[in-house]
Amino acid sequence: MTRSGPLFTLLGGLLLALLLLTFNATTGTKAAPAGDKVAPSASPTASPSSSPSAGAAPTSEAPTPTPSKTQAPDADYAGRTDDDSSAIAVTVRDGKAVAYFCDGRDRESWLKGDVAGDGSMKLTGKNGARLDASPKGGKLTGTANVDKKTFTFTADRAKKPSGLYRATQTVRGARLDGGWIVLQNGAQVGILTRDGAREPAPEIDPSSGSVTGEDLTAEPVTP
Amino acid sequence: MSVDPNAVTQDFPSPPAHGRPHPARYLIPVFAAGLVAVGLGVYGKTHDPAGTSFNLAGFSSTGAVKSWLGTGAFAFAVVQLLTALAMYGRLPGVGAKPWMAKTHRWSGRIAFLLAVPVAVHCLYALGYQTFDTRVMWHSLLGCFFFGAFTAKMLLLRHERLPGWLLPLVGGVVFAGLAVVWVTSALWFFRTFGVTT
Repeated sequence: MTRSGPLFTLLGGLLLALLLLTFNATTGTKAAPAGDKVAPSASPTASPSSSPSAGAAPTSEAPTPTPSKTQAPDADYAGRTDDDSSAIAVTVRDGKAVAYFCDGRDRESWLKGDVAGDGSMKLTGKNGARLDASPKGGKLTGTANVDKKTFTFTADRAKKPSGLYRATQTVRGARLDGGWIVLQNGAQVGILTRDGAREPAPEIDPSSGSVTGEDLTAEPVTP
Repeated sequence: MSVDPNAVTQDFPSPPAHGRPHPARYLIPVFAAGLVAVGLGVYGKTHDPAGTSFNLAGFSSTGAVKSWLGTGAFAFAVVQLLTALAMYGRLPGVGAKPWMAKTHRWSGRIAFLLAVPVAVHCLYALGYQTFDTRVMWHSLLGCFFFGAFTAKMLLLRHERLPGWLLPLVGGVVFAGLAVVWVTSALWFFRTFGVTT
């Protein structure tokens, strides 16, 4: 009798693991509440567990938690400005977009905003930065205005591991903020800001997020 | 496995008359341990890391959550080590007390249950990685730990094991967890500071 105790321990652990895994799978894929960022921790408990138990909607069990009819589909874009000086990456999730403009040396900007139902977006960033873009045939074209310079750009769809990555951490008192655009051909454009000073960022390993030579971990960016 | 477990408990004091126990007694735990360890590793290697996962309230990052959960698990594992040493009479000045068995069991359970969410996050969001030494050992021993723990649990179900076996497997489990903790939580606290 007492000898089944260890077995219950194992089964309990297994059950807990499966529970967490389904929890992750249901929240992680679509809703993706930006895990490590400042995700309001109330949202994960709300979306997956309540929707099946509520059961008010009898037939349609749409996997997306907030299906609005005119929401732009999720997408990732990465590309270069037409003058080839800088790179731009845009991530669209749940009708919101985050974009990063970076020349790999000293000009960068993070922008965010809402995405209209047709996929067009007007994003804003610090110091008056703006980005207007709309999708056309699987590509995103538009203009970006950063540091009072205007750039036109075309960005192709990006699939993992290409896309947008960011790392913000305080390491031994130094405030580090890095942004990376991994282009479809594997090339990386990034800036690492160390206590307010911008410098070209070291390479990252997109699969693990580890930053070469730094105690930093970069993660895919979601709005 | 051919012996009724209830009957075994009742006539435990009788001398081990019928020689060697059936080898299945050892083979099943060993097999299960291998299955768990390799299974976790294969899952971590093949599954496309999701990158993100759930977070807990009050913590700045999943790294912090995992580090604290892991540290909690390790703290309970230290309780495990101490109670085990005392029960085997290897702790100078401390004899085996009746409450120790219960403490040992429950601290073990708690440690295990604290470790499970950490492992789930590791395998789901990050996967089995080998891009540097610390990460390689962490991935390897993380999988190994859960295999060894499975073996320990399954071995516990049998009476009349050789006296050295449980301490050995328990020690291996503890050592595994210790290295896993050093290569993750301790590294995290040293790198990012002791933050929540």
